[in-house]
Amino acid sequence: MSIVACLKWVSHPGEPHDERFAGMSPADQSALEFALRQAALLGTGVTAITVGPSGADKVLRDALACGATRAIRIEAPTTAAGTDVATAIADHIADAEWVWCGDYSLDRGAGSVPAFIAAHLGAEQALGVIHVDLEADGVRATRRLDGGRRELLGVRSPAVVSVEGATARLRRAGLQSLRTAADTVIEVVPATTPIHRAEFMVRPYRPRARELPAPAGDSPLDRLRLLTDAAAASAARGEMVTLEPADAAARIVQVLTDWGYLPHG
Amino acid sequence: MNDHIISFQERMDTAEFRVHHQAHIVVDGKVCADCSTRECVIACPANLFVPTSDGGIVFNYEQCFECGTCYIVCNREGAISWHYPEGGHGVVFRRT
Amino acid sequence: MSTPDVDVVVVGAGPAGSCAAIVAARAGLSVVLLERGPFPGSKNMYGGVVYPRILDGLIPNWWEEAPIQRWVTRRSTMLLTDTQALTVDFRSEAWGQPPYNGATAFRPDWDHWLASHAEAAGAQLLTDTTVVGLLRDAGGAVTGVRTDRPDGDLTARVVIACDGVNSFLAKEAGLYEHTDAKHFTLGVKETLALPKEVIDERFAVRERHGVDIEILGGTGKVNGGGFLYTGLDTLAVGVVLKLPKLAAQQQRPEQIIAGLKQHPAIAPLVQGAELKEYSAHLIPEAGLTMMPKMTMPGMLVAGDAAALCLAAGIWLEGVNFAMASGMYAAEAAVEAVQKGDTSATGLAGYQRRLSDTFVLKDHRKLRRAPELVLSDRVQHLYPTMVANVVERMFHVDNPNPKPGVRRILDQERRKAGVRRRDLLRDGWTGFRSFG
Repeated sequence: MSIVACLKWVSHPGEPHDERFAGMSPADQSALEFALRQAALLGTGVTAITVGPSGADKVLRDALACGATRAIRIEAPTTAAGTDVATAIADHIADAEWVWCGDYSLDRGAGSVPAFIAAHLGAEQALGVIHVDLEADGVRATRRLDGGRRELLGVRSPAVVSVEGATARLRRAGLQSLRTAADTVIEVVPATTPIHRAEFMVRPYRPRARELPAPAGDSPLDRLRLLTDAAAASAARGEMVTLEPADAAARIVQVLTDWGYLPHG
Repeated sequence: MNDHIISFQERMDTAEFRVHHQAHIVVDGKVCADCSTRECVIACPANLFVPTSDGGIVFNYEQCFECGTCYIVCNREGAISWHYPEGGHGVVFRRT
Repeated sequence: MSTPDVDVVVVGAGPAGSCAAIVAARAGLSVVLLERGPFPGSKNMYGGVVYPRILDGLIPNWWEEAPIQRWVTRRSTMLLTDTQALTVDFRSEAWGQPPYNGATAFRPDWDHWLASHAEAAGAQLLTDTTVVGLLRDAGGAVTGVRTDRPDGDLTARVVIACDGVNSFLAKEAGLYEHTDAKHFTLGVKETLALPKEVIDERFAVRERHGVDIEILGGTGKVNGGGFLYTGLDTLAVGVVLKLPKLAAQQQRPEQIIAGLKQHPAIAPLVQGAELKEYSAHLIPEAGLTMMPKMTMPGMLVAGDAAALCLAAGIWLEGVNFAMASGMYAAEAAVEAVQKGDTSATGLAGYQRRLSDTFVLKDHRKLRRAPELVLSDRVQHLYPTMVANVVERMFHVDNPNPKPGVRRILDQERRKAGVRRRDLLRDGWTGFRSFG
């Protein structure tokens, strides 16, 4: 097993309880396409893997129709926590050289699964990639940085690459392979470790309202200006610090809490 | 009656369209230029055909119900070529 | 000749296609059912009522599992003028019990459900696949279809074209003589959300019982008709419009719905309901007048693709004709495949079945009805005349004595500008059609 595409069966945001509308995220479609292109380049096959209930077979059948050579479904409820999903996948693809993921799914996951998979596998990671060049000995990946800058990564296997939605258009499955895919056996396996329910239910990204002190000012106009920042350019909030990863993460959480984006405690 | 009046765009936004990157409607502006009746402009339930001030027609294909009204009401040979969008694309009905 | 990929390819997983696939697959044939939408029903829209009794033989006790909204137990026919409404209202408790009569249902639900039976019977359903043309041999016989997928040809002994009102397959094969705008109507509708309790109260129904209102008039200057159906917690309100008139009158479809919704007899029924979905579809309105040839070597045409839609004013049916024609097409295909003769002669069982059953019998009987119902007199003169007659009959104009009905009728006829000769002729046509 050397090239793996991790695919999530996601519900449609408008019809969350209707399986007719569920399918593969655009980002996962791009990931699958890169996996298939790379497999053609390296002369090997693609294993499509998903974690979910039986309905999730649909994304595997779609992947098989597009050219994936093997399909594995790890049995789990749709509510499985991202960390458990990553562990379950990593346990089944221990010898994978290239793992392709969508950066985050249509139902607005946090995009953490690819990172956890890389950690489990001890693999390199290139996450949130917006452009991919496939080469015989690796992958050149472009990431988006702040201020319109780009980061070019030379990635060597074993590696996990997660790509954004519109990076590649998934090929259209041929009619005969679509017919064959319907009869291909999907390997259904139990998770190797217990699967927990996600502790935080995914919800739309809405920062919490911040508490603002009442504006001090003599006239209504002054107070209005203070409230709207209409007079003074707002001070750019932000700081540049150099810290160890754990300390940096703690600092970010602290700042977000101070700003009101995260609850206290 | 306090029913709120909705815009045509809001009306169209109630339906789902999985837009393909290639148009499935093609209008030959040369044929439309000397058409005075413009049946498509009135009859298209999705209002996809819009007359321009210079006597032409601009058309959209993205929010098409794929009903076929436009090419059937059109009495100009070759003005509208219409086929179904690629499988899996186009309108997706839910409560119809 | 090489062996075909499958015995039967059915194009379109609507009611005709899925019933065809069920019958052919149950008979042991290999069947592929092609659907261009992401799931069966996703491209389909209709007024809102299905009459499923034809399924009795195919899916016993279908009512226990069919995804319906409400059982129609109350049926109203409404005649509207700008300020008047005459309603004939009928209700029957029998229609609320097995085996039922009509039901409101959403096509994305209904068609999806029927297709699941086709899959259960062994047919292979392939979605997201548009058929773009026919494969034919040197003699012109259909040998399969070409899809829009790579490597997309699929050969079959018999193709059953259930590709809907636009049927590009029947047209490609030259089976249609008439595809003129005057043979089609455009159906547009709004699905409106309203709480179930409010619907129950407004329409005087309970539980899963619902109402079917067919409306003549109310479409302004455009010839057509309207409808209002109750879903569980939705209403479907819409209009069916004669295409050439629509363009000539410079009125847009959604404006005509808006006009209907503002009619004093309709407005209180839809008040406060929020638009959930706007949709449109063509209807092969002209019945027998437009029907194509439905059989050719290697191919049968069923459902809307064969214009098997009954639009006869008080009867508006299509899904039942689609389901039946799909079943009969498949029965004929099974016979032909088993005999090894898929020529027009081998497939002749289809036309025979259509002729012997309601599918063509109803159409023959009502062949003049679509034109009559959409005629200018029925659309624009008679509603006013009839409504005025009724208004004067029940208007108590004391101290004047009640006038005789015959006198009112005669006066109103003249006032509406209807010639006695035309009235008698239309009456006779109506009597011969509906009687």
